[in-house]
Amino acid sequence: MKFLNRFDENELLNAYRVAVYSRTLDNRIMNAQRQGIVGFHTPSAGHEIPQVAMGMLLEKDDIVINYYRDLTLLLFRGVPVESLLDHFLANSKDSSHGRNMPDHYNYREYGFYSVQSPVAMHLPFAVGAAYAKIMKKEEGIVLANTGDGGTSTGDFHAALNFASVWKMPIVFVIENNGYAISLPTSEQTKAPIEKKGEAYGIPGISFDGNDIFSALEGFMKAFEYVRTQKSPILVEARIYRIGPHSTSDDPKKYRKDEIVQGSSDDPIVRFRDKLKSLGILTDELDNEIRKWAVDDIEKKLEDRMKIPPPPKETIISDVYENPTWIQEEERREWL
Amino acid sequence: MDTGRRKEGMAMRQLNMVQALNEALDIILGSDPYSLLLGEDIGRDGGVFRVTDGLLQKYGKERVIDTPLNELGIVGTAIGMAAYGLRPIAEIQFQDFIFPAFDQIVNQAAKIRYRSGGKFNAPVIIRTPYGGGIRGGLYHSQSGESYFVHTAGLYVLTPSNPYDAKGLLLAAHKLNDPVIFLEPKRLYRSVKSDVPEGEYNIPIGKAKKLREGEEITIITYGSMVPTVLNVVDRNKLDADVIDLITLLPMDVDTIISSVKKTGRVVIVHEAPRTLGLGAEISALISERAIEYLYAPILRVTGFDTPFPYANEEHYLPDEERIMKYVKKSLEY
Repeated sequence: MKFLNRFDENELLNAYRVAVYSRTLDNRIMNAQRQGIVGFHTPSAGHEIPQVAMGMLLEKDDIVINYYRDLTLLLFRGVPVESLLDHFLANSKDSSHGRNMPDHYNYREYGFYSVQSPVAMHLPFAVGAAYAKIMKKEEGIVLANTGDGGTSTGDFHAALNFASVWKMPIVFVIENNGYAISLPTSEQTKAPIEKKGEAYGIPGISFDGNDIFSALEGFMKAFEYVRTQKSPILVEARIYRIGPHSTSDDPKKYRKDEIVQGSSDDPIVRFRDKLKSLGILTDELDNEIRKWAVDDIEKKLEDRMKIPPPPKETIISDVYENPTWIQEEERREWL
Repeated sequence: MDTGRRKEGMAMRQLNMVQALNEALDIILGSDPYSLLLGEDIGRDGGVFRVTDGLLQKYGKERVIDTPLNELGIVGTAIGMAAYGLRPIAEIQFQDFIFPAFDQIVNQAAKIRYRSGGKFNAPVIIRTPYGGGIRGGLYHSQSGESYFVHTAGLYVLTPSNPYDAKGLLLAAHKLNDPVIFLEPKRLYRSVKSDVPEGEYNIPIGKAKKLREGEEITIITYGSMVPTVLNVVDRNKLDADVIDLITLLPMDVDTIISSVKKTGRVVIVHEAPRTLGLGAEISALISERAIEYLYAPILRVTGFDTPFPYANEEHYLPDEERIMKYVKKSLEY
């Protein structure tokens, strides 16, 4: 049986597995931060459904210019959990030598970007990446994600305008989780997010990102448009940030949770119920998946925690291709 | 990279800096298929100073891009191009307009190699005319080099004559890191020099000594170089004149060896004094050669004010102001 004339049962089950694993990892990293094992975390809880949907539609040559709340998408595209843990722990196996705060992922080899903190700064970058792809006659399109807060930045507007003027094949995705730290989307903007592209000549699409089939249907239209028209589109996936902005944030100061983790409104619970009603998932298999996620993460975390921190000499490397006399002098004197 | 010595057998022409830079861009576009130019009015119009004149016609609009009016868009997209294998050269029409792109330069271009552990780099050149002397008022005259020199991960370069301009831009194109390429607009057409045809490189990170002397060291760069040379020549000063050319990383060895010889230093730049490059040069000398000094290190700079329109000749350090400080140092 095909769902939406495209996806079979195994693809849906795989998406569910990744979503559950991502949520389990997210919760474990939140706890690890409270335990003092990890320094910081911006949880992706509530973002799983649109991210597995994007994952199901991405092709090998597509580049994702992701942001810091795209953990599920990284897992979906095959980034090893061990490597993610090395990154969260900022240990000596981390590919950037523990230089970044957690969630500033760095997986070029899996078709991703190296995440920065300033919000939406990577959107003009995505336009340049698409330009390079075309000039080098490479296959694939560019997916560029950010949150609702990102739509207020100059970078967002510059990127949309340049992408439209240059006719770049980019799916711009706003993962609208309702809040930019404490500011509700209603005070971030008075315009519907999917309309924000229109002034630049970019069509928009908006859907319930908490529902797997509406997310898949919406993203299918968006990816199809960009692949066939070779032009940008703006997508709003309406979701809900289930956790805090970060481990440093206390949402009780500014909101009452509308969706509680594990309740029947939790998008992963909705996904589970849907798969059960379709006869794709049984209670037994579900319990197996959830137990596997917990056990697998626990085992790997314990293992990766044995890895020592990066040597302090790594402070100096990668500032330039070759250090200048200035870094060399600082290394000689202090490291 | 060669030493910047003029090559045998290369035809020499007298060119101004605009022509020399245009030739460098032409060589880059002609030899590197992944290079491209982007900026405001650089195509049809050939750039407001005509540095990119004729290149659209020769290389087409995919490689000489007239962009929308948005500096963060120009620099932000250029960094993405660079990270995925192109060699973009962005033009910011006036350095005064670069600040919307400051975040992209400081937080993106200068940090992407570091934060990605070398998986990404951003070999982008950002060319921009800077400095006063063309009646540009507050917003077509600024010398903002200090903002960029304070940022590890960038190269900051500025030539002072057509020969260096061409060879320095060609050398910058070979770097695998981001470059702020400051073009002293006052010198665009006011100075001509012999410029060879074809390719040659001015070494990055190396200052040039334009005069050799025993009594005093004058350190300068970019648009102040001809003024300093006039002071030295007219007054028959026995001076070392150092043209830094690379502002980051600065050629500290040339500075220190000269200071150890002369024991007297005057630093001349057009940018405001407070935390201008003079401050850093002064600190480097104090740390490494203070016992060689016969006089305090003196700075002749633009004022700590916005750049004025009507009175710009009084704002810019002139021969009289420079000579006054040279005398002060010599007589100390």
